[in-house]
Amino acid sequence: MSDARPNSYSLWRHQQRLAPYLFVSPFLILFCVFGIYPIVKSLYLAFHTTNGPRSVVFTGLDNFRFLLQDPDFYAAVYNTGVFALFSVFLQLPLSLGLALLLNARWLKGRDTFRFVFFSPNLVGQVFVGVLASVIFVPRFGLVPRFLHWAMRTSIDMNLLGNPDLVMPALVGTALWMYVGYNCIYFLAALQSVDRELYEAAAVDGANAWHQFWHVTVPAIKPVALIVVIMSTLGSFQLFELPFVMMGGPGPNKAGLTIVMYLYQRGFDIGNLGYASTIGWTLALIVLVISMVQVRLSGAVRGHA
Amino acid sequence: MDYPPGKAPLAILIMAVVSGVLLLVFPAPKREGNLQVWTFADSHFRAYQKVVPQFEERHPGVKVDLQYVHGRAVTSRLRSAFASDLPVPDLLETEISSAGTFFLGPLEDIGFVDLTEELHKQRPDGPPWIDRVVRSRFAPYTSRRIENGAPKDHIFGLPHDVHPVLLAYRRDVFQAHGIDPETLTTWDKFLSEGRTLMQTMNADLPPDQVDHYLIGLSDTDCGDLEVLLFQRDGGYFDADGTIRMDDDISVQTMCWYVPLVVGPERVGYPVGWNWELTAKAVEKDFLLCYLMPDWLSGFFQKSVRSGTGKLALMPLPAFTPGGRRTSTRGGTMMGFTKKSTQFDISWELALELYFSIDSRIEQFRETNILPPLREAWKHPALAEPNPYWSNQPLGQLYAAQADNTPPQYTSPYIQLAKGKLGEALCDCVDRYKKKGADGFEAYVRERLRQSADEIRGQMKLNPYQ
Repeated sequence: MSDARPNSYSLWRHQQRLAPYLFVSPFLILFCVFGIYPIVKSLYLAFHTTNGPRSVVFTGLDNFRFLLQDPDFYAAVYNTGVFALFSVFLQLPLSLGLALLLNARWLKGRDTFRFVFFSPNLVGQVFVGVLASVIFVPRFGLVPRFLHWAMRTSIDMNLLGNPDLVMPALVGTALWMYVGYNCIYFLAALQSVDRELYEAAAVDGANAWHQFWHVTVPAIKPVALIVVIMSTLGSFQLFELPFVMMGGPGPNKAGLTIVMYLYQRGFDIGNLGYASTIGWTLALIVLVISMVQVRLSGAVRGHA
Repeated sequence: MDYPPGKAPLAILIMAVVSGVLLLVFPAPKREGNLQVWTFADSHFRAYQKVVPQFEERHPGVKVDLQYVHGRAVTSRLRSAFASDLPVPDLLETEISSAGTFFLGPLEDIGFVDLTEELHKQRPDGPPWIDRVVRSRFAPYTSRRIENGAPKDHIFGLPHDVHPVLLAYRRDVFQAHGIDPETLTTWDKFLSEGRTLMQTMNADLPPDQVDHYLIGLSDTDCGDLEVLLFQRDGGYFDADGTIRMDDDISVQTMCWYVPLVVGPERVGYPVGWNWELTAKAVEKDFLLCYLMPDWLSGFFQKSVRSGTGKLALMPLPAFTPGGRRTSTRGGTMMGFTKKSTQFDISWELALELYFSIDSRIEQFRETNILPPLREAWKHPALAEPNPYWSNQPLGQLYAAQADNTPPQYTSPYIQLAKGKLGEALCDCVDRYKKKGADGFEAYVRERLRQSADEIRGQMKLNPYQ
């Protein structure tokens, strides 16, 4: 009995010391296996050429050198960049406009509208992609027929077959999918703006535009910045939508995105080394953009 | 009910509990079987489901686990499994344009069993398989290597099919205009008559409106162009895996093809793979002809019912008098994984699925796919009139051209090459739209060279090339 107390005390202390590690270990193990290991492995592969399932040959910076001269990579960066620009400069103002409408006091059935606008996001990119590929069918699809009726465009307008029209079709589909989604963020931000600020502004003689510019915009700026960052990052990860809509990069690689290019090189050709190089370059691009945005958001916060 | 976090979390909680209980009560059925087979084609899967029970009866103790796996999933799962030594099926089907991508790297690293020796073995019931099957169909599943200073072929798959291409045409429309397309044996004659027919049919419409096109041809995707390129003995690679898509045949074919899909002489419309659109096109006489491989004729029968009795088949018009009257599109190989320890029984099953005449005739009735085994072509089923195709003996029509199907040589870079040909086509179409025929051939030559060079660049990344 006399020995039991120090033993149980030491066990208790031991347990106390180990407990935090035990609690975090499931996450740590999973993170190391599915997070750290793939990152390290892909960094290793980025400096190698994989040739078939087993052969890995060290090629130094060859993959990066090739990437810098690879017209397909530049096409992918260009397409992704254009899509990201539209996401930020078209999608977000539309989302904000919609949120302002939904936030209007006179609007009845706000929840229903909110659900309707958000619903494309519930079904996911694959479903939306399949649906879009059907409604864009030339001559017999809903969109070409509507455009022909409304704007006298050619009924044979091949939105997914004409390299010049692929990006507008992609952007249009993404708008349909994400405007409602981003609108929810803006709506939440708008609903948290203190009504008294508007009343005070009105007393000071501010019209609707002044109220929007001097009250609403500063109040929702933090949320807007989050939405901008998320939309940009999401745009740089674009893959499923064009992949499903066109079964690949589309005509003349007009729908080729960076992630799709990575997938093609890794899984269609089997060069995981070059795919890793593309992946790391994408990570670098996203890092730079994020840093710029974080700096901007810091500046804005400082200004506020 | 009062749930402090709110109604929405409560609803989510209820859904989670209900779905969890449902999963517990109805767990996913466990897969049984000691011989795993993957196929990516729904029609193959359905056909094999009928053959497998008889096979199992004849081989007690063998239970076949037949799985229908999406084509892209076959490629990506297999690639990962080969690379990581993960479990793979004993035998599997892969699509013709993916097959070559598995032949990258040293021979010993390829995950499929080399069947060359087995196929050349003399068999008790007749000559070796290699001589009983259309030889060109081994090309897409063959990797040629230089060994002891000489090229040697290694065959990694059994061909499921031949996939000859015929021309499907609207017999009712041609007849109504007094044209017998079967007499138009060259593309020159066919296109000349076809343009006249198109003009007649579109005569009452406004000048900017065309409601009838002669043939389904894409102006952005290389699928149709590829068929015509093969017909002329062109292709992406030669038998040694060297890129050849910028040779004279490719240049001439592109120069011939582009004016068919753009410009004043246009006769083609890109109908693509949308069956609703195709059905509409048939209903409204929008397209009068289609490049029709055997498997597509089966899809038409099932998916475009409105075509019954209206469509007929004929050999493709030749590029030169007396030239080849067919081409090929698509294909499937059966591969045997090296990791499997059951090669003998896998081989028997594969022979049953691919080279058993009864089984293949059953599949032919279901899919219109012509077996690659020549012995099967004499079967009476191939001579049966097919009501959908104006009571023509569909099987015989395809079989008559089968031995002339051109080879589709492959390379691990085949998918890249297809993409690059599509890009070149887009640019050539754009160039022709803007500047017409002036200097077009020189442009095409340069553009195809650019595409081929891009592939050469990717190939150079591989230190073994």
